[in-house]
Amino acid sequence: MTNSNRRTFLKATGVGLLSGLAGCTRGGDGSDGSGSDGSSGGSDGSDGGTSTDGSDGELAIPLSEYEDADIDWRQFEGSSINIGAVQHPWVSAIKPAVPVFEELTGIDVVWNVLPEQQFRTKRQTDVSTGAGQFDVFYMDQVVNQFREEGWIQPLDPFFDDDSLFDEDWYEPDDLFEASRWQAHGGGYSDTWTGMPITVEVQTQFYRKDLYDKHDLEVAETLEEFRQNAQAIHENESDVVGTVGRGDKGYGMNIYILNTFLRQNGAELWDSFPDDSGLDSDGVINAAEWYVSLLQDYGPEGASTQTWSDVLSTMQEGRAGHIVSDANLFWPGLTGSDSSVADTIGIAKVPSPADGQFSPNAFNWQISTSKNAQNSEQAFLFMVWASSQPTNTWMHVEGDAAFSVRQSVWENDEFRSRVGENFAQVTLESLQAAAPDPFDRKYPEWGQRYSEELQRAIAGQKSAEEAMTQAASIAEDIYSN
Amino acid sequence: MSTPTQTETAPKSTFARLRDLWNDYLPYWFMAPMVLVMIMITFFPGAYDLYLSLIAEPTLDVFAADFVGLRNFETAFTRGGAIHSFVITITVVVSALLLETILGFVLAALVAGVGSDRAKSFYRVLFIIPMAVAPVSLATIGRIMLNSEIGIIPYVINTGTPFVAPNFLSDVPLLTVILLDAWNWTPFMFIIFYAGLSSVPKTLIEASRVDGAPMWRRYVHVIIPYMKPVVFVATLIRLIDLFRTFGVVYGLTGGGPGTATQLVSINIYEQMFINNQITVAAAIAVVYLVLVVALCNVIIAKVGFEGVWD
Repeated sequence: MTNSNRRTFLKATGVGLLSGLAGCTRGGDGSDGSGSDGSSGGSDGSDGGTSTDGSDGELAIPLSEYEDADIDWRQFEGSSINIGAVQHPWVSAIKPAVPVFEELTGIDVVWNVLPEQQFRTKRQTDVSTGAGQFDVFYMDQVVNQFREEGWIQPLDPFFDDDSLFDEDWYEPDDLFEASRWQAHGGGYSDTWTGMPITVEVQTQFYRKDLYDKHDLEVAETLEEFRQNAQAIHENESDVVGTVGRGDKGYGMNIYILNTFLRQNGAELWDSFPDDSGLDSDGVINAAEWYVSLLQDYGPEGASTQTWSDVLSTMQEGRAGHIVSDANLFWPGLTGSDSSVADTIGIAKVPSPADGQFSPNAFNWQISTSKNAQNSEQAFLFMVWASSQPTNTWMHVEGDAAFSVRQSVWENDEFRSRVGENFAQVTLESLQAAAPDPFDRKYPEWGQRYSEELQRAIAGQKSAEEAMTQAASIAEDIYSN
Repeated sequence: MSTPTQTETAPKSTFARLRDLWNDYLPYWFMAPMVLVMIMITFFPGAYDLYLSLIAEPTLDVFAADFVGLRNFETAFTRGGAIHSFVITITVVVSALLLETILGFVLAALVAGVGSDRAKSFYRVLFIIPMAVAPVSLATIGRIMLNSEIGIIPYVINTGTPFVAPNFLSDVPLLTVILLDAWNWTPFMFIIFYAGLSSVPKTLIEASRVDGAPMWRRYVHVIIPYMKPVVFVATLIRLIDLFRTFGVVYGLTGGGPGTATQLVSINIYEQMFINNQITVAAAIAVVYLVLVVALCNVIIAKVGFEGVWD
């Protein structure tokens, strides 16, 4: 190689290497925009030993609420725990009560709160490298992947420890069955993989004024839901019959479709891991129904609608009805941001005439890793955070509306605060909820399944072709 | 035991040896801090990326890692959709680069031909504004403006023209991505070409005019050849930047519908953050890195930096 060539090569290599690496690092900046919220590292005030509500020196919840428990709360006095969490309403709802835990146990709490994608990266690195920085961390649909890799610790030994857990006081049966089931890896685990902290369940929201105007009854069946959409779509000039999540990704189109396919009698994985069930009649019928509903009575470009598009379209009064999460959408649709706040009604999601009512739901849970330095302290925090006194306080005194405890949804003060109808519809939906079972490769095949559904909604292929392809992909992922 | 001879010089002191070492390698000592920085910010991450692409799962103890050879690469190019995302990326890069180069040059030529200095100033500011918009903001604005229900662009097309607006994000997503990128980055080409045009000696243009050359000949035979280094540098910078495109496309389409606009950068992101396949993401990133380096080498070898850096 001549000097000239070498110099040229070095220049090009330098330019290319820099640009390539810059490209890699830039890959993550589009999702959540901002970096840490500044609360990383526990500098948010809740990591000290100050055990007060902050204003008048009194604890948010009296310690006597916890003294009936046959638990040795103070056995780890003087230690501290690190909590890894996403920016989420649960964090802001529980933080004012954390001094109660610190006073009760003598354990300091250090928060590491990050935007969701940043948190996922940090969590993955923490558990896979064995660093064990987090004693407690948020856990979601990757639960079985983490469990099978041995990255999270089963909680059952802690439940069996009399100094850490009092079943009579904690009342685990007060947790919704759907929440307990998802905390057991969605049926894939015999042991507790974490403690559920929030639950979201799907409900139906509709425009009461438009329903009155067109003399429509709230839909109980899928056919009625479609007829209502048609009536509004064809008789209102600026309003579409319905709007739904069409974009790809978990929490988008498949999160809604999974409700309808289960109500159609189908399941994800007829026989795990050989038969995904995605090409079964129940799934194909549900997909055809959802795709044609959005294509016929939804907005143009339905395949690119995210949950926030659905929310804003409904808030602006441009849709007749939707199916979405009660807890997430109710405040947005009935708050000051909504131009139709006074006319929003809530009802249970429709189901097939001969099907079973079983709306989809999603639980966030908190888990502890096998490398955590303070797993027992972490477990005490989980018990305290998901206990009845803490949950009730967050929902009665705070503005939370995502409790995993049935008693909270039956609490008169809470029902009075959030509205009787909202509370009752949500409670009944939670009692019948059927969350998604997150097998260990769900993040991978679920993404591909949602891409295929998006193609069908965009009209690029039929729903049957899309689901058949999705079935093939899911089974192929497990066969390799 | 050896006996010292007359020709043997006295041994040097440690200080003298260090001084010689310093003087002999003086240029290298001066370069050392920068080389170390370069190694830390480029070669180390690159090497770590390569390491990740060859193991089963990341581990804190690198010696305990389970090496799996090229399995992650195989996964990336079979069910990982790497080939598809490379095709999409090349389509976007080539189309957007051509569009931005041509539009940027035409705009620069038009503005350079404007007589009034005040008008020139106005156009310069006007054409540069889109470049100042952040990618995520642009994607958000784009989603709203292109929304078939509430967007201004479909509204104008439907009401002000005899045409029916397509569903930009679902019917023609790739074209929409290319056009939005062109809207965002043509100003970059415009500003460089405008500066290049301003540097062409007036005497050259006057001479060609006296020789009777029409305007197009003046551009083809005088102005553009003179501006070749400027055009080369501008397109090279833009080319590299286009390979890094992520935020605006992810914010606009999320790589969809399906995988219709799934650039390599989006594929890497999804493998990493959606699928939790860190090692597969690393494998795609390694291949991408090699291809970008190779492409830069080919371009520079074929076109060269003559008149630019040498």
